[in-house]
Amino acid sequence: MRLRFAAGLTAAVLIILCGARGAWAHGEAADEPFLKDLTVAFFNVHISPTVIKVGDPVTITGSLKILETWPYTLDPPATAYITPVVPGPVFVLADRTVNGEPDMGSIFVEKGGVYNFNMVMRGRNPGRWHVHPGIAIQGTGTLIGPGEWVTVEPSATPFRFDVSLLDGQKVNLEHYGGAFVWWWSLAGFIIGVIWMLYWTVPKRTVTRLAVTIQLPINDDAPDIGLITPRDHFWMSVLAGITVAMMVGGWVYMAAKFPVRLPQQTDRFEPVSAAPGVNLATVRGTGATYDEKTSTLILNTQIKNISDMPLTLTEYSMAMTTFVNGDAAAIAQAGPADYTGKLDVEPNTPIAPGETRAVKLTMSGDVFNDERLIPLHDPQQLIAGLVHFQGERRKYDLVTVKSVLIPTEFQPQYLP
Amino acid sequence: MASTPSALTMSAAERQRRLELRDLLNAKYKYIDRTWDVVFWVTAIFIVAGAADITKLLFAGDWDFWTDWKDAQWWPVITAFATIIIPSALQWIQWVAWRFPTGATYTCVCLFLASWIGRYFQWHVAETYPLNFVWPISTVPAAIILDWLLMKTRSFVLTSLIGGATWAFMVWAFNYIPLAPFLQPAVFMHHVMTVSDVQGIGYIRSQTPEYMRHIERGALRSFLGETQYVSLVFGGTMAVIGYWIGQFIGRYLAVWPIGRFIKTI
Ligand SMILES: [Cu+2]
Repeated sequence: MRLRFAAGLTAAVLIILCGARGAWAHGEAADEPFLKDLTVAFFNVHISPTVIKVGDPVTITGSLKILETWPYTLDPPATAYITPVVPGPVFVLADRTVNGEPDMGSIFVEKGGVYNFNMVMRGRNPGRWHVHPGIAIQGTGTLIGPGEWVTVEPSATPFRFDVSLLDGQKVNLEHYGGAFVWWWSLAGFIIGVIWMLYWTVPKRTVTRLAVTIQLPINDDAPDIGLITPRDHFWMSVLAGITVAMMVGGWVYMAAKFPVRLPQQTDRFEPVSAAPGVNLATVRGTGATYDEKTSTLILNTQIKNISDMPLTLTEYSMAMTTFVNGDAAAIAQAGPADYTGKLDVEPNTPIAPGETRAVKLTMSGDVFNDERLIPLHDPQQLIAGLVHFQGERRKYDLVTVKSVLIPTEFQPQYLP
Repeated sequence: MASTPSALTMSAAERQRRLELRDLLNAKYKYIDRTWDVVFWVTAIFIVAGAADITKLLFAGDWDFWTDWKDAQWWPVITAFATIIIPSALQWIQWVAWRFPTGATYTCVCLFLASWIGRYFQWHVAETYPLNFVWPISTVPAAIILDWLLMKTRSFVLTSLIGGATWAFMVWAFNYIPLAPFLQPAVFMHHVMTVSDVQGIGYIRSQTPEYMRHIERGALRSFLGETQYVSLVFGGTMAVIGYWIGQFIGRYLAVWPIGRFIKTI
């Protein structure tokens, strides 16, 4: 019995430790692979600059598509919130637009929707922080995009978060209103402490219990001395002070802040930025993953349904993007830890009307680090976005979904 | 109130018994007297604060964490209900055991300490949220009135009915006063919004997205825009219910083991 308890305790500690290790990078690796692959693909994410001083801006730009392959096991996407994912308020968010519109809060989204975001943050706490864009979707949770390390260096002036009130006053939210909250609450607390001291210091509990158990519950026995007229007097004084403080506080508040606005809520449906005309269809015909070399091979059947030759330029899955191009093109595609080379076979433009089997090969530690490949999951599926480039700046983003067969399945975590 | 017997209606035997009780109250004990009191009042701080804090977290969670959740519609209802439960339980225990009208005040003083220590160290120092965004509400003034009502009425039914409504009003009004600066209109991200909204957007909460906020959204029945007074009436009703949940805890769950213990000896 004791042995089993010890084993259980050890297992619990190990699970907590492993969980904590995963949580180091915002817990994204803790999510199941299908939850990341089949839901949202991030691409074209840029986070810059990567070294700033406290108070300076960092801009996160990029795009995401809510994939048509959204798993049926999750609530359909409807309400979402695009947000920076950072370890607490080490930055403050100063501005945000989605598809060009100012976005103060949550938005309405749909499967297949493409959303371009632009978020400006200002550095608040010095340190080296991992910054991601993310989209929280109601019923699902926060899905995150590729991240970049941003160093915030100390500045000579302390951080300020200035906001203009409608009456023209400019206030610094780092401190605004805080002192009043504290002193006001403390004043009420002190009356409470006096109340408690009045009863607990001169009056003993032990002897009172011996008396109260012999009396009916609503007998406060002034004749015996449990609650005396003197007690009534002083308690009424304290209650009176409390009420007077409330009334005084209210009069002051009403005079100083005659306008009090309700908290605001506004949700809108951004016009999807998906390219209007479809240029190609893509069918996944099977994928394999080799864990030893971290290599993903995705076989597809591509049909060009446009009137121009198409080049397959990129494949994006969850927070990664693989680029059919040289090192410079890969560097352009997003944060280095989440991008890689895409081998396309055969790598020639697809003619209008042509149907072709195309093999996509990519490899990277990111598959394991971010746990993107289902190796032991109830949904052995992957999905992503195939980017095509046509002529005259025309492009298309086509969602592809495929069964995934690993070269070897992962053993159970627990026997 | 009729149950406190006046000297006129009391029998001689009853009068004698009460005189003996008076001696019992003033009896001196050598060891346990004051030591016991100090040990009890101090150790109970942690237990009572913990119980009150957990109950508040369970029912009122985010409403008490962020200024942008402290709205006119839900905040007065949820917090009134969540915060009265443990004060009510302690009112029962301390009144029944010692005739102290202190259960609510004691709970709320303990909760005040726990909340501010938690907010300061966990949320301000460790998580670096500014305190003016994550300050806790104070229930101490409402508790003073609740204890005062119990002392005056000597009735848990009357305290629940009058006290429940008063509680909802006092908790809301006392904390609405320091909230007012955060309801000032400002312009941010091309919108008119309150300062508290700006805090909610600016100080990033990656795991508490905006859509999780339950705030007043406006409806056809707007009650001249004064939602909060309707909410306060509803909050008062909820506080009466919360009060009786607290009574149940105080009467049956908390004291029951002690009763068993006393019966054994
Ligand atoms: Cu990260």
